[in-house]
Amino acid sequence: MRLPIQINEQSAEPLYHQIEVQLRALIVSGQLAEGMLLPSIRELAQTVKCSVITVKRVYNDLEAEGLLRTRQGTGTYVAQVGDQERDRHRLAAVVEALEQAVVAAKRVQCTEEELKAIFQEALSKHYD
Amino acid sequence: MNETLAIQLDGVEQSRSNFKLGPLHMSIPKGYITAIVGPNGCGKSSTFRLMLDLDKADKGTIELLGCNVNQGMDTELKKRIGYLHDQSSSHENNMIGAAKAEFHRFWYDDWDINRYRELLHILEVEDHLMLGKMSKGMRRKFEFALALAHGPELLLLDEPSSGLDPLAWKTMIEVLHRYMDRGDRTILMTSHIIEEVKRLADYIVFMAQGRVLGMYEKDELFSSWFTLFVSGAELTAKKAAELPGQCGVEHAGATTFRITTNKAAEAEEWCAAEGYQIVSRQALELDEIMSALLQQDRLHSRRN
Repeated sequence: MRLPIQINEQSAEPLYHQIEVQLRALIVSGQLAEGMLLPSIRELAQTVKCSVITVKRVYNDLEAEGLLRTRQGTGTYVAQVGDQERDRHRLAAVVEALEQAVVAAKRVQCTEEELKAIFQEALSKHYD
Repeated sequence: MNETLAIQLDGVEQSRSNFKLGPLHMSIPKGYITAIVGPNGCGKSSTFRLMLDLDKADKGTIELLGCNVNQGMDTELKKRIGYLHDQSSSHENNMIGAAKAEFHRFWYDDWDINRYRELLHILEVEDHLMLGKMSKGMRRKFEFALALAHGPELLLLDEPSSGLDPLAWKTMIEVLHRYMDRGDRTILMTSHIIEEVKRLADYIVFMAQGRVLGMYEKDELFSSWFTLFVSGAELTAKKAAELPGQCGVEHAGATTFRITTNKAAEAEEWCAAEGYQIVSRQALELDEIMSALLQQDRLHSRRN
Protein backbone atom coordinates (compact mmCIF):
# COMPACT_ATOMS: atom_id res chain seq x y z
CA MET A 1 0.00 0.00 0.00
CA ARG A 2 1.24 3.47 -0.84
CA LEU A 3 0.68 6.32 1.55
CA PRO A 4 0.01 9.75 0.03
CA ILE A 5 3.12 11.31 1.53
CA GLN A 6 5.11 13.82 -0.48
CA ILE A 7 8.42 15.25 0.53
CA ASN A 8 10.19 18.39 -0.54
CA GLU A 9 13.94 17.89 -0.81
CA GLN A 10 14.56 21.61 -1.17
CA SER A 11 12.87 22.48 2.10
CA ALA A 12 14.86 23.42 5.16
CA GLU A 13 12.46 21.36 7.24
CA PRO A 14 14.05 18.03 8.23
CA LEU A 15 12.85 15.02 6.28
CA TYR A 16 11.63 13.06 9.30
CA HIS A 17 9.55 16.05 10.33
CA GLN A 18 7.95 16.39 6.90
CA ILE A 19 6.96 12.71 6.93
CA GLU A 20 5.83 12.80 10.56
CA VAL A 21 3.51 15.77 10.06
CA GLN A 22 1.85 14.20 7.03
CA LEU A 23 1.49 10.74 8.54
CA ARG A 24 0.06 12.22 11.75
CA ALA A 25 -2.45 14.18 9.70
CA LEU A 26 -3.50 11.03 7.82
CA ILE A 27 -4.12 9.25 11.12
CA VAL A 28 -5.93 11.96 13.08
CA SER A 29 -8.10 12.89 10.12
CA GLY A 30 -9.26 9.28 10.06
CA GLN A 31 -7.99 8.69 6.52
CA LEU A 32 -6.03 5.79 7.92
CA ALA A 33 -8.48 3.75 9.94
CA GLU A 34 -7.78 2.21 13.31
CA GLY A 35 -6.12 -1.19 13.09
CA MET A 36 -4.78 -0.61 9.60
CA LEU A 37 -1.40 -2.15 8.83
CA LEU A 38 1.14 0.43 7.70
CA PRO A 39 3.83 -0.31 5.10
CA SER A 40 7.00 -1.85 6.49
CA ILE A 41 9.82 0.52 7.34
CA ARG A 42 11.81 -0.46 4.26
CA GLU A 43 8.76 -0.12 2.03
CA LEU A 44 7.90 3.40 3.18
CA ALA A 45 11.56 4.42 2.96
CA GLN A 46 11.56 3.23 -0.64
CA THR A 47 8.43 5.14 -1.64
CA VAL A 48 9.54 8.45 -0.16
CA LYS A 49 13.22 7.83 -1.07
CA CYS A 50 14.61 8.30 2.39
CA SER A 51 16.64 6.03 4.63
CA VAL A 52 15.10 3.46 6.96
CA ILE A 53 16.66 5.37 9.84
CA THR A 54 14.34 8.29 9.14
CA VAL A 55 11.23 6.12 8.87
CA LYS A 56 12.15 4.30 12.09
CA ARG A 57 12.35 7.64 13.83
CA VAL A 58 8.92 8.67 12.52
CA TYR A 59 7.29 5.38 13.56
CA ASN A 60 8.93 5.58 17.00
CA ASP A 61 7.79 9.18 17.55
CA LEU A 62 4.21 8.44 16.52
CA GLU A 63 4.18 5.31 18.63
CA ALA A 64 5.29 7.37 21.63
CA GLU A 65 2.40 9.75 20.90
CA GLY A 66 0.04 6.79 20.97
CA LEU A 67 -0.97 7.05 17.32
CA LEU A 68 0.76 3.86 16.20
CA ARG A 69 1.41 0.53 17.78
CA THR A 70 3.95 -2.07 16.80
CA ARG A 71 3.37 -5.76 17.18
CA GLN A 72 6.61 -7.73 17.23
CA GLY A 73 7.10 -9.58 14.02
CA THR A 74 3.87 -8.52 12.35
CA GLY A 75 4.30 -4.81 11.75
CA THR A 76 3.06 -1.37 12.65
CA TYR A 77 -0.64 -0.57 12.99
CA VAL A 78 -2.74 2.54 13.42
CA ALA A 79 -3.73 2.69 17.09
CA GLN A 80 -7.09 3.62 18.53
CA VAL A 81 -7.27 7.39 18.68
CA GLY A 82 -9.76 8.84 21.17
CA ASP A 83 -11.98 11.75 20.12
CA GLN A 84 -10.37 14.15 22.56
CA GLU A 85 -6.91 13.19 21.45
CA ARG A 86 -7.96 13.40 17.83
CA ASP A 87 -9.11 16.97 18.37
CA ARG A 88 -5.86 17.92 20.05
CA HIS A 89 -3.78 16.45 17.24
CA ARG A 90 -6.11 17.79 14.60
CA LEU A 91 -5.61 21.35 15.77
CA ALA A 92 -1.91 20.91 16.50
CA ALA A 93 -1.27 20.36 12.80
CA VAL A 94 -3.22 23.52 11.93
CA VAL A 95 -1.41 25.61 14.55
CA GLU A 96 1.91 24.46 13.20
CA ALA A 97 0.98 25.21 9.59
CA LEU A 98 -0.17 28.70 10.54
CA GLU A 99 3.03 29.38 12.42
CA GLN A 100 5.01 28.38 9.37
CA ALA A 101 2.95 30.74 7.27
CA VAL A 102 3.75 33.57 9.68
CA VAL A 103 7.47 32.75 9.50
CA ALA A 104 7.26 32.79 5.70
CA ALA A 105 5.53 36.18 5.84
CA LYS A 106 8.17 37.64 8.14
CA ARG A 107 10.86 36.38 5.79
CA VAL A 108 9.53 38.70 3.07
CA GLN A 109 8.96 41.51 5.59
CA CYS A 110 5.20 41.36 5.40
CA THR A 111 3.45 43.65 7.93
CA GLU A 112 0.87 42.45 10.41
CA GLU A 113 -1.90 44.22 8.51
CA GLU A 114 -0.87 42.67 5.22
CA LEU A 115 -0.80 39.23 6.82
CA LYS A 116 -4.25 39.70 8.36
CA ALA A 117 -5.61 40.74 4.97
CA ILE A 118 -4.10 37.65 3.35
CA PHE A 119 -5.58 35.47 6.07
CA GLN A 120 -9.04 37.00 5.61
CA GLU A 121 -8.78 36.50 1.88
CA ALA A 122 -7.82 32.83 2.33
CA LEU A 123 -10.72 32.37 4.77
CA SER A 124 -13.32 33.78 2.42
CA LYS A 125 -11.89 31.80 -0.49
CA HIS A 126 -12.20 28.46 1.30
CA TYR A 127 -15.11 28.96 3.72
CA ASP A 128 -17.71 31.06 1.87
CA MET B 1 32.90 -7.65 18.03
CA ASN B 2 29.83 -5.51 18.19
CA GLU B 3 26.62 -7.49 17.55
CA THR B 4 25.15 -4.70 15.46
CA LEU B 5 27.99 -4.62 12.93
CA ALA B 6 28.16 -6.76 9.81
CA ILE B 7 31.65 -5.70 8.76
CA GLN B 8 34.47 -4.08 10.63
CA LEU B 9 37.79 -2.98 9.13
CA ASP B 10 40.44 -1.76 11.50
CA GLY B 11 43.66 -0.20 10.24
CA VAL B 12 43.61 -2.24 7.04
CA GLU B 13 46.46 -1.48 4.64
CA GLN B 14 47.59 -2.93 1.35
CA SER B 15 50.60 -1.61 -0.51
CA ARG B 16 51.14 -2.31 -4.16
CA SER B 17 53.72 -0.87 -6.53
CA ASN B 18 51.25 1.59 -8.01
CA PHE B 19 48.62 2.05 -5.30
CA LYS B 20 48.38 2.22 -1.54
CA LEU B 21 45.10 1.29 0.08
CA GLY B 22 44.38 2.40 3.61
CA PRO B 23 44.74 2.64 6.47
CA LEU B 24 41.03 1.85 6.31
CA HIS B 25 38.65 2.01 9.23
CA MET B 26 35.08 1.09 8.42
CA SER B 27 32.12 -0.14 10.48
CA ILE B 28 29.20 -1.35 8.42
CA PRO B 29 25.99 -1.73 10.47
CA LYS B 30 23.85 -4.85 10.29
CA GLY B 31 20.34 -4.55 8.84
CA TYR B 32 21.08 -1.57 6.60
CA ILE B 33 22.18 -0.77 3.08
CA THR B 34 25.51 1.02 2.92
CA ALA B 35 26.83 2.42 -0.35
CA ILE B 36 30.46 3.24 -1.00
CA VAL B 37 30.90 6.07 -3.47
CA GLY B 38 34.06 7.61 -4.84
CA PRO B 39 35.93 8.40 -8.04
CA ASN B 40 37.38 5.67 -10.25
CA GLY B 41 40.40 3.99 -8.72
CA CYS B 42 39.63 5.09 -5.16
CA GLY B 43 39.99 1.53 -3.88
CA LYS B 44 36.37 0.37 -3.68
CA SER B 45 36.82 -2.93 -5.51
CA SER B 46 40.16 -3.59 -3.81
CA THR B 47 38.43 -3.21 -0.47
CA PHE B 48 35.84 -5.79 -1.51
CA ARG B 49 38.58 -8.21 -2.54
CA LEU B 50 40.23 -7.85 0.86
CA MET B 51 36.95 -8.42 2.68
CA LEU B 52 36.38 -11.63 0.74
CA ASP B 53 39.95 -12.83 1.31
CA LEU B 54 40.63 -12.80 -2.43
CA ASP B 55 43.62 -10.59 -1.65
CA LYS B 56 45.59 -10.34 1.57
CA ALA B 57 45.96 -7.16 3.56
CA ASP B 58 49.46 -6.23 4.76
CA LYS B 59 48.16 -4.80 8.01
CA GLY B 60 45.01 -4.50 10.09
CA THR B 61 42.07 -6.72 10.92
CA ILE B 62 38.93 -7.53 8.97
CA GLU B 63 35.84 -9.03 10.55
CA LEU B 64 32.79 -10.21 8.63
CA LEU B 65 29.63 -11.29 10.48
CA GLY B 66 31.67 -11.62 13.64
CA CYS B 67 34.40 -13.83 12.11
CA ASN B 68 37.97 -12.72 11.58
CA VAL B 69 39.04 -13.30 7.97
CA ASN B 70 42.75 -12.55 8.36
CA GLN B 71 43.58 -16.24 8.67
CA GLY B 72 41.51 -17.13 5.65
CA MET B 73 37.81 -17.55 5.23
CA ASP B 74 36.12 -20.83 6.06
CA THR B 75 33.41 -22.37 3.91
CA GLU B 76 30.75 -21.88 6.56
CA LEU B 77 31.29 -18.12 6.53
CA LYS B 78 31.29 -18.01 2.72
CA LYS B 79 27.87 -19.64 2.70
CA ARG B 80 26.44 -16.67 4.58
CA ILE B 81 27.69 -14.17 2.01
CA GLY B 82 26.62 -13.29 -1.53
CA TYR B 83 29.01 -11.46 -3.85
CA LEU B 84 28.50 -9.83 -7.20
CA HIS B 85 31.80 -9.07 -8.95
CA ASP B 86 32.32 -5.85 -10.84
CA GLN B 87 33.37 -7.84 -13.90
CA SER B 88 32.39 -11.26 -15.15
CA SER B 89 35.24 -13.73 -15.52
CA SER B 90 36.18 -14.54 -19.12
CA HIS B 91 37.22 -18.10 -18.22
CA GLU B 92 33.54 -18.86 -17.64
CA ASN B 93 32.56 -17.76 -21.15
CA ASN B 94 32.04 -21.32 -22.36
CA MET B 95 30.01 -22.37 -19.36
CA ILE B 96 26.26 -22.69 -19.63
CA GLY B 97 24.34 -20.60 -17.09
CA ALA B 98 22.50 -23.58 -15.62
CA ALA B 99 25.84 -25.38 -15.08
CA LYS B 100 27.17 -22.49 -13.03
CA ALA B 101 23.94 -22.51 -11.03
CA GLU B 102 24.45 -26.25 -10.34
CA PHE B 103 27.89 -25.45 -9.02
CA HIS B 104 26.43 -22.87 -6.64
CA ARG B 105 23.75 -25.33 -5.58
CA PHE B 106 26.47 -27.81 -4.63
CA TRP B 107 28.31 -25.35 -2.39
CA TYR B 108 25.50 -23.36 -0.80
CA ASP B 109 23.33 -25.43 1.58
CA ASP B 110 20.64 -22.79 1.60
CA TRP B 111 20.44 -22.65 -2.19
CA ASP B 112 16.78 -22.19 -2.99
CA ILE B 113 15.93 -23.50 -6.44
CA ASN B 114 12.49 -21.87 -6.41
CA ARG B 115 13.94 -18.54 -5.42
CA TYR B 116 16.52 -18.88 -8.20
CA ARG B 117 13.82 -19.70 -10.79
CA GLU B 118 11.69 -16.81 -9.58
CA LEU B 119 14.59 -14.39 -9.87
CA LEU B 120 15.38 -15.57 -13.41
CA HIS B 121 11.72 -15.13 -14.26
CA ILE B 122 11.32 -11.59 -12.93
CA LEU B 123 14.67 -10.51 -14.37
CA GLU B 124 13.84 -12.21 -17.69
CA VAL B 125 17.01 -14.30 -17.90
CA GLU B 126 17.49 -17.56 -19.85
CA ASP B 127 20.02 -19.79 -18.11
CA HIS B 128 20.41 -22.34 -20.93
CA LEU B 129 22.75 -19.97 -22.79
CA MET B 130 26.52 -19.98 -22.55
CA LEU B 131 27.67 -17.12 -20.32
CA GLY B 132 29.86 -15.74 -23.14
CA LYS B 133 26.84 -15.69 -25.45
CA MET B 134 24.68 -13.67 -23.09
CA SER B 135 24.42 -9.91 -23.60
CA LYS B 136 26.25 -7.84 -21.03
CA GLY B 137 23.03 -6.93 -19.26
CA MET B 138 21.66 -10.46 -19.24
CA ARG B 139 24.90 -11.86 -17.84
CA ARG B 140 24.82 -9.22 -15.14
CA LYS B 141 21.25 -10.13 -14.21
CA PHE B 142 22.16 -13.81 -14.18
CA GLU B 143 25.10 -13.22 -11.82
CA PHE B 144 22.84 -11.05 -9.68
CA ALA B 145 20.27 -13.85 -9.36
CA LEU B 146 23.07 -16.29 -8.42
CA ALA B 147 24.37 -13.99 -5.67
CA LEU B 148 20.89 -13.80 -4.13
CA ALA B 149 19.55 -17.31 -4.57
CA HIS B 150 20.96 -18.70 -1.31
CA GLY B 151 19.44 -15.85 0.73
CA PRO B 152 22.76 -14.60 2.16
CA GLU B 153 22.90 -12.58 5.37
CA LEU B 154 25.43 -10.26 3.81
CA LEU B 155 25.35 -9.15 0.21
CA LEU B 156 28.34 -7.45 -1.39
CA LEU B 157 27.46 -5.80 -4.68
CA ASP B 158 30.16 -4.21 -6.79
CA GLU B 159 28.43 -1.80 -9.16
CA PRO B 160 25.37 -4.01 -9.50
CA SER B 161 23.63 -2.00 -12.17
CA SER B 162 26.40 -1.63 -14.72
CA GLY B 163 25.07 -2.65 -18.13
CA LEU B 164 21.41 -2.84 -17.08
CA ASP B 165 18.66 -1.10 -19.02
CA PRO B 166 16.37 1.24 -17.03
CA LEU B 167 13.60 -1.35 -16.67
CA ALA B 168 15.96 -4.08 -15.46
CA TRP B 169 17.52 -1.52 -13.13
CA LYS B 170 14.15 -0.76 -11.58
CA THR B 171 13.42 -4.45 -11.14
CA MET B 172 16.78 -4.92 -9.44
CA ILE B 173 16.06 -2.09 -6.99
CA GLU B 174 12.71 -3.69 -6.14
CA VAL B 175 14.28 -7.11 -5.65
CA LEU B 176 16.84 -5.61 -3.27
CA HIS B 177 14.18 -3.77 -1.26
CA ARG B 178 12.21 -6.97 -0.86
CA TYR B 179 15.35 -8.85 0.09
CA MET B 180 16.00 -6.32 2.88
CA ASP B 181 12.44 -6.25 4.18
CA ARG B 182 13.13 -8.88 6.87
CA GLY B 183 15.34 -6.33 8.59
CA ASP B 184 18.24 -8.59 9.59
CA ARG B 185 20.13 -8.61 6.30
CA THR B 186 22.91 -6.30 5.21
CA ILE B 187 24.01 -4.91 1.86
CA LEU B 188 27.31 -3.25 1.13
CA MET B 189 27.46 -1.92 -2.39
CA THR B 190 29.45 0.41 -4.61
CA SER B 191 27.84 2.62 -7.17
CA HIS B 192 28.47 5.51 -9.53
CA ILE B 193 24.80 6.11 -10.07
CA ILE B 194 23.39 8.89 -7.93
CA GLU B 195 19.78 7.83 -8.27
CA GLU B 196 20.68 4.29 -7.20
CA VAL B 197 22.39 5.50 -4.04
CA LYS B 198 19.45 7.80 -3.29
CA ARG B 199 16.92 5.03 -3.67
CA LEU B 200 18.78 2.27 -1.89
CA ALA B 201 21.29 3.50 0.64
CA ASP B 202 20.74 4.16 4.33
CA TYR B 203 24.39 5.04 4.90
CA ILE B 204 26.93 6.49 2.48
CA VAL B 205 30.69 6.00 2.71
CA PHE B 206 32.90 8.37 0.69
CA MET B 207 36.25 7.01 -0.48
CA ALA B 208 39.09 8.71 -2.36
CA GLN B 209 42.67 7.71 -3.06
CA GLY B 210 42.50 4.57 -0.99
CA ARG B 211 41.09 6.29 2.07
CA VAL B 212 37.69 6.71 3.72
CA LEU B 213 36.71 10.39 3.77
CA GLY B 214 33.67 9.84 5.94
CA MET B 215 30.51 7.86 6.58
CA TYR B 216 27.13 9.55 6.84
CA GLU B 217 23.49 8.68 7.35
CA LYS B 218 21.94 9.50 4.00
CA ASP B 219 19.10 11.83 5.02
CA GLU B 220 21.29 13.66 7.48
CA LEU B 221 23.89 14.15 4.77
CA PHE B 222 21.42 15.55 2.25
CA SER B 223 19.76 17.80 4.82
CA SER B 224 23.04 19.36 5.95
CA TRP B 225 24.47 20.31 2.54
CA PHE B 226 22.76 23.33 1.05
CA THR B 227 23.63 26.24 -1.18
CA LEU B 228 22.15 29.42 0.26
CA PHE B 229 21.73 32.76 -1.44
CA VAL B 230 22.20 35.17 1.44
CA SER B 231 21.55 38.86 1.23
CA GLY B 232 22.07 41.72 3.67
CA ALA B 233 22.88 45.42 3.53
CA GLU B 234 26.31 45.14 5.14
CA LEU B 235 27.16 41.65 3.96
CA THR B 236 30.72 41.31 2.63
CA ALA B 237 32.61 38.31 1.28
CA LYS B 238 34.65 38.22 4.48
CA LYS B 239 31.54 38.17 6.64
CA ALA B 240 29.89 35.60 4.38
CA ALA B 241 32.86 33.30 4.94
CA GLU B 242 31.93 33.16 8.63
CA LEU B 243 28.71 31.30 7.90
CA PRO B 244 28.72 28.01 9.86
CA GLY B 245 29.90 25.07 7.75
CA GLN B 246 30.96 27.37 4.93
CA CYS B 247 32.52 25.48 1.98
CA GLY B 248 32.67 28.15 -0.68
CA VAL B 249 31.48 31.72 -1.20
CA GLU B 250 30.64 33.34 -4.50
CA HIS B 251 29.50 36.86 -5.12
CA ALA B 252 26.03 36.84 -6.66
CA GLY B 253 25.48 40.51 -7.41
CA ALA B 254 25.03 43.55 -5.11
CA THR B 255 25.03 42.39 -1.47
CA THR B 256 23.97 38.83 -2.24
CA PHE B 257 26.34 35.90 -1.84
CA ARG B 258 25.99 32.30 -2.89
CA ILE B 259 27.32 30.24 0.01
CA THR B 260 27.63 26.48 0.23
CA THR B 261 27.38 25.00 3.70
CA ASN B 262 27.54 21.55 5.27
CA LYS B 263 25.71 22.73 8.39
CA ALA B 264 22.47 24.02 6.90
CA ALA B 265 20.48 24.28 10.15
CA GLU B 266 23.22 26.20 11.97
CA ALA B 267 23.75 28.41 8.93
CA GLU B 268 20.08 29.38 8.86
CA GLU B 269 20.16 30.25 12.55
CA TRP B 270 23.29 32.32 12.00
CA CYS B 271 21.60 34.29 9.19
CA ALA B 272 18.57 34.95 11.38
CA ALA B 273 20.75 36.08 14.31
CA GLU B 274 22.88 38.35 12.10
CA GLY B 275 19.81 39.77 10.40
CA TYR B 276 20.64 38.47 6.91
CA GLN B 277 18.00 37.24 4.52
CA ILE B 278 18.05 33.87 2.83
CA VAL B 279 16.77 34.65 -0.65
CA SER B 280 16.77 31.07 -1.84
CA ARG B 281 18.11 27.67 -0.92
CA GLN B 282 19.05 24.64 -2.92
CA ALA B 283 19.93 21.14 -1.74
CA LEU B 284 23.19 19.71 -3.10
CA GLU B 285 23.26 16.57 -5.21
CA LEU B 286 25.44 13.62 -4.26
CA ASP B 287 28.08 14.42 -6.89
CA GLU B 288 28.30 18.02 -5.70
CA ILE B 289 28.73 16.87 -2.11
CA MET B 290 31.41 14.45 -3.25
CA SER B 291 33.42 17.08 -5.09
CA ALA B 292 33.14 19.47 -2.13
CA LEU B 293 34.43 16.74 0.20
CA LEU B 294 37.27 15.92 -2.21
CA GLN B 295 38.24 19.56 -2.36
CA GLN B 296 38.24 19.87 1.43
CA ASP B 297 40.37 16.75 1.63
CA ARG B 298 42.90 18.17 -0.86
CA LEU B 299 43.14 21.45 1.07
CA HIS B 300 43.54 19.54 4.29
CA SER B 301 46.33 17.27 3.00
CA ARG B 302 48.15 20.25 1.48
CA ARG B 303 48.16 21.98 4.84
CA ASN B 304 49.68 18.96 6.59
